[in-house]
Amino acid sequence: MKFARRACWAAFVVLVNCPIPSFGQNVPYERILHAQSEPQNWLTYSGSYFSQQYSSLKQINRQNVSSLRIAWMYQPSKPVANLESSPIVVDGVMYITEPPSTVTALDVRSGLKLWSYSPTLPEHIVSIGLYATSRGVAILDNMVYIGTADAHLIALDAKTGAVRWNVHVADNIMGYAMTGPPLAVKDEILVGIGGSEAAVRGFIDAYDAKTGKRLWRLWTTPRVGEPGAETWGNGAAESAGATTWNNGSYDPDLKLIYWGTGNPAPDFNDDDRPGDNLYTCSLLAIDADTGKLKWYFQFSPHENHDWDSTEPAVLFNSTIDKKPRKLIGFANRNGFYYVIDRVSGKFITGVPFVKQTWAKGLDANGRPILALNQQPTLGAGTLVYPSITGGVDWTSPSYSPQTGLFYVSAHETGAYYVKGTGKIELGPPKGIVGGGGIRALLGEQSYGAIRALEATTGKRKWEFRLLSPAWVPVLSTAGGLVFSGSDEGNFFALDAETGKLLWDIQMGHAARSNPISYEVDGKQYIFVTAGNVYMSFALP
Amino acid sequence: MISAAGMIGLAKMSSPVLALPQQDTKAVQLNAEELGKGKQTFEMTCSTCHGLDGGGAMGPNIQGIPFRLGVDAVANVIKNGMSGGMPAFGGQLNAQQIQQVIGYLLTLTRRDEGKITGDAAAGKQVYESSGCANCHTIAGEGGDIGPELTTVGQSRGPNYLRNTILYPGTDLPQSHIFLESGGQLQFLFVHVVTKDGRTMEGTRVAEDSFHIVLEDAQGKFHSFRKDQLRELKKEPGKSTMPSMKGKLSDAQVNDLVAYLASLKGAQ
Repeated sequence: MKFARRACWAAFVVLVNCPIPSFGQNVPYERILHAQSEPQNWLTYSGSYFSQQYSSLKQINRQNVSSLRIAWMYQPSKPVANLESSPIVVDGVMYITEPPSTVTALDVRSGLKLWSYSPTLPEHIVSIGLYATSRGVAILDNMVYIGTADAHLIALDAKTGAVRWNVHVADNIMGYAMTGPPLAVKDEILVGIGGSEAAVRGFIDAYDAKTGKRLWRLWTTPRVGEPGAETWGNGAAESAGATTWNNGSYDPDLKLIYWGTGNPAPDFNDDDRPGDNLYTCSLLAIDADTGKLKWYFQFSPHENHDWDSTEPAVLFNSTIDKKPRKLIGFANRNGFYYVIDRVSGKFITGVPFVKQTWAKGLDANGRPILALNQQPTLGAGTLVYPSITGGVDWTSPSYSPQTGLFYVSAHETGAYYVKGTGKIELGPPKGIVGGGGIRALLGEQSYGAIRALEATTGKRKWEFRLLSPAWVPVLSTAGGLVFSGSDEGNFFALDAETGKLLWDIQMGHAARSNPISYEVDGKQYIFVTAGNVYMSFALP
Repeated sequence: MISAAGMIGLAKMSSPVLALPQQDTKAVQLNAEELGKGKQTFEMTCSTCHGLDGGGAMGPNIQGIPFRLGVDAVANVIKNGMSGGMPAFGGQLNAQQIQQVIGYLLTLTRRDEGKITGDAAAGKQVYESSGCANCHTIAGEGGDIGPELTTVGQSRGPNYLRNTILYPGTDLPQSHIFLESGGQLQFLFVHVVTKDGRTMEGTRVAEDSFHIVLEDAQGKFHSFRKDQLRELKKEPGKSTMPSMKGKLSDAQVNDLVAYLASLKGAQ
């Protein structure tokens, strides 16, 4: 027995002295703060607090990307639906989620599973107007965090998957569900919530990372007597929507969190909610310490086309009129690309990045100047561009500091918007409280495109056409590349400067997760998911 | 190949108005009230992703899916979900509600307008003598270039059938491809010229952003990478099916329409 124990210790000593596998995980806030200094890892949902979906790795580049091939694949033990998981990569370990709410740790070299944790979920999960899925985890210190389909926030030991705490965030039976990844800032874990189509009231929560104690909650629709209630008319008593179902961004210098909100409820019937309906379809700037709203920018006041504004806000620094500026780039579902001052929230510019017919333009403050007859109507409905899928929905765009370009997977399509009935009722929801719906254009009338926009102006530099509108996020790299996919299952690399196709593969299913990049043992990988498969690509 | 036993029989009566035959079970009769419930459930559960008309939105076009896959398969997907984004609704909808939703979905693509004026037995002879079976299959007999017609009478009535026989390209039927991307389900005539000068025409079988596969008039598949094509022309108004205008008399067309409208598979 003693001999065996000594042998084990000897083996352990050998392992720690070697440069390979060491799965002790520790990611203090300072590491996330400086995520750009360790490009071999991928520490947040979009790579860094600035949500740029950009990797400074450049081993894979314009000259050699045509040799890219599969390095490994991972599949869950049973088929999954709605795979939208984007991974976190830390020191040789990749943390993924498997729908609906499983967390799995993989060895990044081989794709082998290290551990997996599945929460006990109710037999029937209420998921109205959304998929019971998870877009990923957050990591802070030695724990990983997941928001679950039944609206719990769970902290797991990053090395073993053991549960450290589990808090009830909201009532799933009322339609609340969590699909977006949490955001770790300082010693807080921030989470958003989904369920607008069940007419829930949106919020953003912050929890103590160590204990799970709730630190603050910011409701995203005002109720009677609160500032902004006047923007709901008589509907303020039941103001609903403005859910926060994706991920936020963070500026540590300004100590501001930026988080987008979804549509008001009911989506298509606005009879009971006259006014701008704050803070729906908006970008919120929130004090990270107090949870107080610092400023907001509402993209689509009084929205009734289901054009959420929940895409992660892309933060970047650039120069306008020879002055350095702290900016936000936002390709909105309503079809406009916006540039916003992220200190003040002031509108700088906004231009359509897809065909849109609902606004004649934006005024000096960025408020849309509405076109006539572009609202949902009874009967056959009204043809409006863009469609319910928007110019782009939640799928992340990318910003490359190398090119100064903003890359977005754009949808060119319209739809007939139909107004129906749809009243908010008290009690558990019976189904979607949409108050209407849409009929999509059929046939060859729709297409998609990867578009490169000048980030400070929105002016289009190039586009790469796709057969159909794609729900696929984008990644750009210092190798001069843009990675994205088509809805028909293609995954491809484009020249970031010109949009020229450099490499592609048919994966058999559309990628729904963020493509990301990481490096291990001096080798760069490109990771993406498709169908049931999580896969990493590398050079031979 | 679609199992006839899994298909839907559309009863020509006021109540019930729709019959959903189940494999190994008695057909479920749906009346107007139940179809109304199906509409309500569809709009509260399905239409956000699939559109009010099932034509697709955030999710794929599902118009006519029960005709192509069968009722049992569609009920299974609604109950258990499927890879790619379709949630499971088994905890939310019971079996009766699922049947009602499928019934309503079928009414969205039923195009059974018009009156039958011809003779179905004579129409069968027209069908057999006009070469239709070279491209179409009925009850396992015939070619597979065009859509199968074994149950065409369930979803297509005299007006649509007559128009298609005379003007095949004007209202194209749907194919089973592109369920993922939605919205692009029509049989589509495509003309390509390769960079080395080869010309090919046929019906689109599959397509992604970089490839297209065509089926020629002989039923052979041809696969192309788009960047190897000099020309790629999609012709929505054309069809590989020849028009019967001028080839058949009005009486023969009416008989053929009557025959096709009578094809409803196993009842």
